[in-house]
Amino acid sequence: MTSPLLELRNVETYYGPIMAIRGVSLTVNEGEIVAVLGANGAGKTTLLKTACGALDCRKGQVIFAGKEIQCRDPDWVARQGISHVPEGREVFPFLSVSENLMMGAYTRNDHEQISADLETVFEYFPILKNIRGRMAAYLSGGQQQMLAIGRGFMARPKLLLLDEPSLGLSPTLVSEIFEIVIRLNREQNISILLVEQNANVALQVSARGYVMEVGGMVMDDDSATLLESDDIKEFYLGKKDEGARGLRRWKKKKTWR
Amino acid sequence: MTENSQAVNDEPERMDRAWIVDGCDTLPKLFLRKSIERGDQIAMREKDFGIWQAYSWNDYRTRAFEIAHGLLALGLQKSDVVSIQSEDCKEWVFADIGIMLAGGVVNGVYPTYRANQVSYTLNDSRCRFLFVEDEEQLDKYLDVESELPNIDKVIVFDWKGLRGLKHEKVIPIERLYTLGQEYGRDKDGLIESIVDRGRAGDLALLIYTSGTTGKPKGSMIPHRFLMFQSTIAVDFEQTSSDEILTYLPLCHVAERIFSICLPITYGGIINFAESPETVARDFQELSPTFVFAVPRVWEKFYSRVSTAMSEATWVGKKIYKLGLKISARRANKLIAGVQPGFFDVLLFKCANALVFKNIKQLLGLDRARMLFTGAAPISRSLLKWYLTMGLQITEAYGQTETGIVTMTRQKPLRQGTIGEPIPNVDVKLSDEGEILIRHDYIFDGYLNQPEKTRETIVNGWVHTGDVGEIDENGQYKITDRLKDIIITAGGKNVTPSLFENEFKFSPYVSDAIVIGDKRKYLTCLVMIDKDNVEHFAQMHSIPFTDYRSLCSRPEIVELIESELKTVNAQFSPVEQVKKVRLIDVLLTPEDEELTPTMIEEMYGR
Repeated sequence: MTSPLLELRNVETYYGPIMAIRGVSLTVNEGEIVAVLGANGAGKTTLLKTACGALDCRKGQVIFAGKEIQCRDPDWVARQGISHVPEGREVFPFLSVSENLMMGAYTRNDHEQISADLETVFEYFPILKNIRGRMAAYLSGGQQQMLAIGRGFMARPKLLLLDEPSLGLSPTLVSEIFEIVIRLNREQNISILLVEQNANVALQVSARGYVMEVGGMVMDDDSATLLESDDIKEFYLGKKDEGARGLRRWKKKKTWR
Repeated sequence: MTENSQAVNDEPERMDRAWIVDGCDTLPKLFLRKSIERGDQIAMREKDFGIWQAYSWNDYRTRAFEIAHGLLALGLQKSDVVSIQSEDCKEWVFADIGIMLAGGVVNGVYPTYRANQVSYTLNDSRCRFLFVEDEEQLDKYLDVESELPNIDKVIVFDWKGLRGLKHEKVIPIERLYTLGQEYGRDKDGLIESIVDRGRAGDLALLIYTSGTTGKPKGSMIPHRFLMFQSTIAVDFEQTSSDEILTYLPLCHVAERIFSICLPITYGGIINFAESPETVARDFQELSPTFVFAVPRVWEKFYSRVSTAMSEATWVGKKIYKLGLKISARRANKLIAGVQPGFFDVLLFKCANALVFKNIKQLLGLDRARMLFTGAAPISRSLLKWYLTMGLQITEAYGQTETGIVTMTRQKPLRQGTIGEPIPNVDVKLSDEGEILIRHDYIFDGYLNQPEKTRETIVNGWVHTGDVGEIDENGQYKITDRLKDIIITAGGKNVTPSLFENEFKFSPYVSDAIVIGDKRKYLTCLVMIDKDNVEHFAQMHSIPFTDYRSLCSRPEIVELIESELKTVNAQFSPVEQVKKVRLIDVLLTPEDEELTPTMIEEMYGR
C-alpha cells in the first residue's frame, strides 16, 4: 500500500489546560472518503482544525502527502492542498456568492483555470449560478452549505475536510449534498475527511469510519462493518432492541467492538 | 425450602453447634441488640445528589423492620428465599437484614448477570421475592418472567423511569415501606419473636458461585457461619470510628463479611461507593481506615502511581526512587522478621514525609490503618511495595464454603503466605497437597446438588481445590488451583498462578493466563492494562486507534515481551513462558469469557 495522503499520529490538542484530543491517530488514503463519528464534544471539530492548521497540536504529527504539516500556518496548509469546510458554513455574509467562491481561490493565480473551476462549481451546484450575485447572508441554509463546499473546492484541494455538512438541513437536502460530495470525490479525485453526527449518511457514503469519544478513538473499521456493529446501532443509529416492557430508558454499556 | 435442605449429616453433632457473639447465636439477634445499643450512632453513609448522607443504627433498624413487616404482609414464610439483584447501596443492606429479621433466606444476585443467568439462580433457589436495583435490573426479570412462576413480588429500589408501569407483581420499595408500617402498627414484638425462634443452624444465605465448569452452585450458609465470621478480627479490632468503603459486590462472601458482619459486631461505618466507575474517587474522598480490596484493586493503585511517576519531573522521579530505596531497608527487615533499627525507621519516616504521604493521599490510603487482601492470589512484589510505603497488608484466605479461615498476623509479618489458621479452624494438606479445611461453622452443602456436596465435604473436611504447602514457621502458602496445574509435554508440573501474579505486577499487564498443558512450552495470554499501555503508546508516538489496533502494534507486543523477560528471570527454565499473545478484545464482566479476576477488574476501576 502506498503511504496515506493524510496521516495523524498520536495527536494531542489542548484548549488552554484542557486536553481536547488525547492521542488520536487516523489515516486518509488517496481518493478515499473517511468518516469520523462522535457525540458533541468528542473532539471531532478539534481534530479537523488541528489537521488544517487552525489549531496547533502539542504532541504528535500531522503528515500530508509525506510532509509534516503540524503547527504550520493555516494558509500555508491550505496551499499544500487541504481545504477546510467549517462547521456552520461560515460563508462571508456581506460578499456575494461569486465573491465567496473567489475567496476560495485566494491562494491561486492561474486565472484561466480559476474561471474554469468556477464553472465546474456551478455545474455541481446549478442553483448557485442563478443567485451568483446575491449576498451570501440572504441564502438559505442548504444554499450556504453548497456555497461553503464550492468555496472549499475553489482552492483545488487534494483533501477536503468537511465538518458536519448535514447540520440543520432537511433530509432531502442532506442526500442531495452528499450525492455531490460523492461526485466530487469520484470525478475530481478529491479525498474527503468527513465529520458527522448523522452516522447513517456518513457511513453510507464513506469507505471507512472512525468513532471518537471524549477525545480518543474507540473504534475504526470499514463503514459496512461499523453499520453492523451493535454499539453503533444503539448509540448512533438509535436502533434499540425492545425489551419485554417496551422502550427502555437505560443504556447498555458501550464495548466498542 | 425444607425439602431442599440437604445438610450433610455425616457429623450430626456439628449441626447443633453455635458460635455465640455477645449472647447471640444468629445475625438478626446480634443486629437487634447492637442496633438498639448504638441508637443514633452513624451506621452508614451514601451519596445522594453528590452529598454524603448519614444513616444511624436506628434508621438502619427502622428500615429493616419496615421491609421485614412488608415481606410478612406479602406472605413471606420462614425459610423462603428472597433475592437481591443490585449494586451495593443502603437499600441492599436494609433488605438483607430485613429478610433475615422476617426469617427469610437472602440470595444476592450479581447485577452483571444476564437475564438467563438471573433466571437460573432464581429458579434453582425457588425464590419468592425479588429486590431489584432499578429499571435496568427489572428488565432482566421481565425478559424471563414467564420462566419464573415462583416469584410473587418484585420490589424496585429506584423507581426512576418506571412511572406509569402497570404490572401487578412490580412495586417500588416505598410501597413496601408503607406496607410494612401499616402491617407492623399493631404487631409489637412480632419480629422479635420471629428472631427469637431463630437457631444457629437455620439457613441465612444462599451464595451462588459460578465455577468454571457446570452449573452455578448455591452454597447454603447457616447463621452459625455468619456469626463465626463476624468475629474473625483475630489480632486487630474494628471500632465504631472506623470508616469502610463498600464497593465490591455484597453478593460475594468477602464483602459481606467486611461490610455487614464485622460492622454489626464492632460498629464500623460503611460508606457506599457511588458506582463501580467512581471507586478510585470515592477512595480519595473518603480515605477509609479499614480497607478490604482484591488484588486487582491493589494492582490498580500501584499502576496509577507508576503512571503518575512516569510523568513526574526529573526531580520528582529521583525523590520517589530514593524514597523507595531508603525505605526498603525497613521493609526488608520486617519481611525477614527482624525488628527494624532506629536508623531504618528514621529513613522511612523521612521518605514518608517527603513522598509517601502524598502518594497515599492521592490514593485515599492516608488514613488506612487496617488493610486486607483476599479472594485471589496477590504478587509478593506488590505487597512489598506497599510495605515500603508503610502500608502493611494482611492477607486473608478462604472461600464461600468455609468463610475466611487463615490470615497473616500483624507480628511477625509473613508476607507471601496466607498466614495461619484463625482459632477454631483446622487446616491440613492432603496427599496431593490440596488444602483441606475443617471447622464447625462451614456451609451446609450446595443446594440441589448433593453429589457436588459429597465431592467437596469428605469426612468433615472441605476440599478447597487449592494446592498449598506449609513452611517452617507454620504458615500456609497457596501454590495454585488444583485443576490449574499444568503438566507440560515434557512431563513437568508447573503451577501457573505464581507466574501469572508476578506478571500482573507489571503496570502494563492487567490479566495473564498461562497455558501449556501437554505442550512443549508455556504460552501466556495477556490482557493489557488499557490506560497504561495507551499512555505508553502516546509517550512513544506509537499510532493506534482502538483497543484492537493497540494490541496489534509490534511496539506494544515488544513492550509486553520485555516485561515477560523481566518476569522470566525470576523463574527456573521449565517455569518460564516462551511466548505471549495479547487478547485483542476488551472483555467486560458481561461476557461469557469472564474469569473471576475480571469481576474484580470491573470493580477495581
